[in-house]
Amino acid sequence: METTNQYRKRWSWDRVTWGTHCLNCLATCSYRVYSRDGKVAFEEQGGTIAEIEAGVPDFNPLGCQKGSAWSLQLDGEDRITKPLRRVGERGSGKWEEITWDEALADIADSIIDAIDEDGPESVVFEESVEGGLMAQSPFLRLASLIGAVTLDAQGLVNDLPIGQHITFGKFSCASTVDDSFHSEVLLLWHANPAYTSIPYFHYITEARYKGAKVISIAPDYNASCVNADMYVPVKPGSDAALALSICQVLLEDGKVDLDFVKAQTDLPLLVRSDNLRFLRERDLVKGGSEEHFYFWDQTKEVVEVPRSTLDLGEIDPALHGPFKVALADGSEVEVFTVLDLIEKRLLDYTPELASAICGVSPETIRELALIIAGNKTKIIEGFNAPKYFHGDLMERSMCLLLALTGNWGKPGTGIQGLALAGLDGYLLFSMKTKQGVEETARLLDGIDASMEQLRQRDPEATDEMLGNQLLTLSTSAGTSAPPVFFNYNHVGYKESWNNSAWQEPTMTKSFSSYMEDALRRGWWGGVARPSAGMAPRVFFAVGTNPMRRARGGKRAILETLWPKLEKIVAVDIRMSSTALYADIVLPAAMQYERVNVQYPITHTLHLAFSDKAVEPKGEAKTEWEIFSALANKISERSVERDIVEFTDGRRLSRRLDTVGDSYTIGGAFQSDESVIDEWIRDSSDAGTLPPGTSVETLRTKGTIRFTGLGVFAPGLSVATDVKDDKVLTAFQWHVDKKLPFPTLTKRAQFYIDHPWFMDADEALPRHKDNPKMGGDYPFVLTSGHSRWTVHAVSMGNSAVLSTHRGQPLVVMGAKDALDLNIGEGTRVKVYNDHGSFIAMVKVAPRVRPNQLIIYNGFEPHMFEGWNGSNEVEPGMVKWLHLVGKYGHLRYLPFGWQPVPSDRAVSVGIMSVPDSQRIEESS
Amino acid sequence: MFTFSLSGLEIKASDSGPIEVEENETTARSAVYMVLGSFFAPPGDSHFDKAVNDHWEKEMTEAASLLPFEFDTGHPTIDEATSKEAYIGEYDRLFSSGDRLNLLVASQYSSDPENLMAQVKRDYEYFGLGGSESSERPIDHLASECDFLQYLCFKEAASPSPRLAGSYRRAQRDFLERHLISWVPDIVAKVTPLNPIKPYDWALSRLNDFIQADYAYIKALLGG
Repeated sequence: METTNQYRKRWSWDRVTWGTHCLNCLATCSYRVYSRDGKVAFEEQGGTIAEIEAGVPDFNPLGCQKGSAWSLQLDGEDRITKPLRRVGERGSGKWEEITWDEALADIADSIIDAIDEDGPESVVFEESVEGGLMAQSPFLRLASLIGAVTLDAQGLVNDLPIGQHITFGKFSCASTVDDSFHSEVLLLWHANPAYTSIPYFHYITEARYKGAKVISIAPDYNASCVNADMYVPVKPGSDAALALSICQVLLEDGKVDLDFVKAQTDLPLLVRSDNLRFLRERDLVKGGSEEHFYFWDQTKEVVEVPRSTLDLGEIDPALHGPFKVALADGSEVEVFTVLDLIEKRLLDYTPELASAICGVSPETIRELALIIAGNKTKIIEGFNAPKYFHGDLMERSMCLLLALTGNWGKPGTGIQGLALAGLDGYLLFSMKTKQGVEETARLLDGIDASMEQLRQRDPEATDEMLGNQLLTLSTSAGTSAPPVFFNYNHVGYKESWNNSAWQEPTMTKSFSSYMEDALRRGWWGGVARPSAGMAPRVFFAVGTNPMRRARGGKRAILETLWPKLEKIVAVDIRMSSTALYADIVLPAAMQYERVNVQYPITHTLHLAFSDKAVEPKGEAKTEWEIFSALANKISERSVERDIVEFTDGRRLSRRLDTVGDSYTIGGAFQSDESVIDEWIRDSSDAGTLPPGTSVETLRTKGTIRFTGLGVFAPGLSVATDVKDDKVLTAFQWHVDKKLPFPTLTKRAQFYIDHPWFMDADEALPRHKDNPKMGGDYPFVLTSGHSRWTVHAVSMGNSAVLSTHRGQPLVVMGAKDALDLNIGEGTRVKVYNDHGSFIAMVKVAPRVRPNQLIIYNGFEPHMFEGWNGSNEVEPGMVKWLHLVGKYGHLRYLPFGWQPVPSDRAVSVGIMSVPDSQRIEESS
Repeated sequence: MFTFSLSGLEIKASDSGPIEVEENETTARSAVYMVLGSFFAPPGDSHFDKAVNDHWEKEMTEAASLLPFEFDTGHPTIDEATSKEAYIGEYDRLFSSGDRLNLLVASQYSSDPENLMAQVKRDYEYFGLGGSESSERPIDHLASECDFLQYLCFKEAASPSPRLAGSYRRAQRDFLERHLISWVPDIVAKVTPLNPIKPYDWALSRLNDFIQADYAYIKALLGG
């Protein structure tokens, strides 16, 4: 009886709140959090989301094992509970506990010194995608007030579907996950959703139960393959060849949706045969536009491509040339269509030829074409493709497959990758100079007016395009900078990027030459900050973890960047690898100890709220509290030290003594809850959340569905209307409303006639072998998110650790292991010319020959010598992504920019001499 | 011309909007909330005088003249025998006498009064208001909530921006829904058995009828 009661007591509570886990898993799982005596007792999935569309399964229950064990981390051994200051060498593990006041004064003085002596751009923050909106907003606000630089998170983490951007002019193109239920074919391509999308995976099995064919395309037989009807093993990095080969079969067999291709894509556009550039108005008319393009219509001959609509009206564009066109200078030129060029290219990708590249049999390629043709097909992609050096080519090829088969803008179609929704209130908040609805209306009216002004200049532009233009304009006044320049000038990447042996062999000059050329042409004007001459002095990692995440590892970070920095500040919930190497570590409150909202995304189109269930552990504070206090301390110390005025990087005069007051807008926003409430009310007012929504609504319901995608670029790029009773299908504006794409040609663009792309023979999608990044070694190292942690956040969770071996492991194929005499549990060294790490081997027949897998999330300090798997990643970026000012290829925050690759680096593997089996040594 | 008048609340944010507007259907609604707010504020000398001189009825009738919906303003005639002391004592008897808590305060009807107060405060702050420093009246007092609605209606009528006018209009619906519609019927249910003297019975029934009619009106205006 006593035992029974003890058990019951374990599951008793005196308070219930809503919680979610604001992590970069981008799931919006609402949990009920049960507390007892001021401690979280347990949590369970909420499961209260209403059905959206009749006949489509609802989202419930949403959750995974990491979320269900989150509360264990509140008392985790890696929690930081007090401000710490380093007393030994960086990374020596020697710390002293200090008061908050001491910590803040120390940091404030460093910031003031840096601003006074070198300027505010010597203060650098890494933008974060971990911790939810209330983790990132505070430091972005402070950075803005002091004129610091924030490194664009996309350029740090690289979840950028860059091939989608090249094709569609945007990178956030995802429907809600329940749209998968409408699919007839689901291609799990560059994705392992059984690991990475646990809350949503049921839609795949439910679609399959309904009759959809599920096909997994992956190098390894991953956990998702078990639930697939067909597994297509592809060599790492050869996905473009496979996609193009399917396209070749579709075209050859006449199984192409011609009407869709004509209406939606640039395939009917004319290309000059002499210079292989699009036929432009300036070719036909003296002084004509560079951005007006042409079709060939059988009756009207050369017809300008409509720029304001995809509706062709009476135009019936030819898909095949050649034709003769008279030019402005009186000469005549032969023109082809883009499709002509594609078909020519696809001759290199017949199933037989492609099979030699990608390893998939010709029969399987033909079968795939047969399955996809005429069926509603969706690619569930994830963020793996962009992490390949030539991931853009892979995605462009995959998008071409969707184009030829008419697979976007209709329920059950499209490509499921990055999925940003718009929480307008969050975006408005940074512009607010006072609290309340009047200011909100003033800002929204101002945005309307700006959009109208832009529309006057470009009457054919859609709201989506104007939103992009507005965002582009705002970058000149913002803090965000693509990290590629910081990495090139101040971190240890320059040497790697100029290493021709590791680079793409078709580059005609050094990376530095391309970089200098891009800067000289002004393609990155205003955002290439901090400049080469501005050495960073103060560096903030707020929930970010460059020591683990940064491709390049210690060589890039510790050896090059760290020595330049006078002050490294880590703000985190736990002792990350970066915190271990920091100068000052500040303890942050965790979810359940604070209020927060998860990032707004379209996967569920729900905003999830996390309430404060218990007090923060130890002296932990929320980021809002931390940076508010720091802002006040900067003001206080600036007055004490008589350093109150400074000039920012844009030569604007600013003051430090008002930073504290400005941070809270004169004290209007003292608490996290007041900030979130303002976001929610403003979002409601702007129409992205239901009318009357406030924090209290979320506190009651836990989660709430968006009613709109907002007035800003991220939401608009999904290009669809939110309907109460329908799943969200991206790109319906393009297909149903015939609104053009925000690309140079206003259509889904497969031909990029930029000189750099043409020189690289990448004007059209193609396959290119992965460069030998790291040297010439027999294995390629791939990765992916593990089932057990969201990046490294759950790595210290005792429950999660107990489900696996809790130490870094490399998975290798059985035959390779046999050939190299490497057994299960062997300590191995994985190495290349860039670096090495030691881990334990897990032998698995599911891994293909010459492939090694190390899943994402292991902290470097879990490895011997604290050498993480990023030691073998040179962090190469693709030079073509330095292109700017070509139609849609221009910088957008969180969008188009060079991003680091890490998939399929070349490595060797060997048993560590004199090694013992891990089990024995431990 | 119509202008607003706050007692328990005051403007906290700088406000550059007009301070008076032409009378219309929206200002009529604002005016009715002004009368109701004034009536349910703790009574002073003028409260009794207004009752004796039928000014409550006049104010209400005048306020309601341009209302966009039917509303019976009724007749709050006070019994001639009612003394000033009895009149003022009735307010306490009905709403806060003896060990009874103040029935005119929203938090009395909430299971989480602290949170409710925080939400009301934020509601006011978002629309530029806060509790008056010269008033001891709680911000969740019925009179303050009527003041708030009075202000929202006025601001709707006065807003130069259609977007902002829409915001104020939605706010009226939301606040009615979350507050007065949810707890005023409870006041009526608790106070009616106490047989309130005139004009308290009149005021309670007018309050209840008005908020129901206004809520229906504003909901219909906003499309449900």
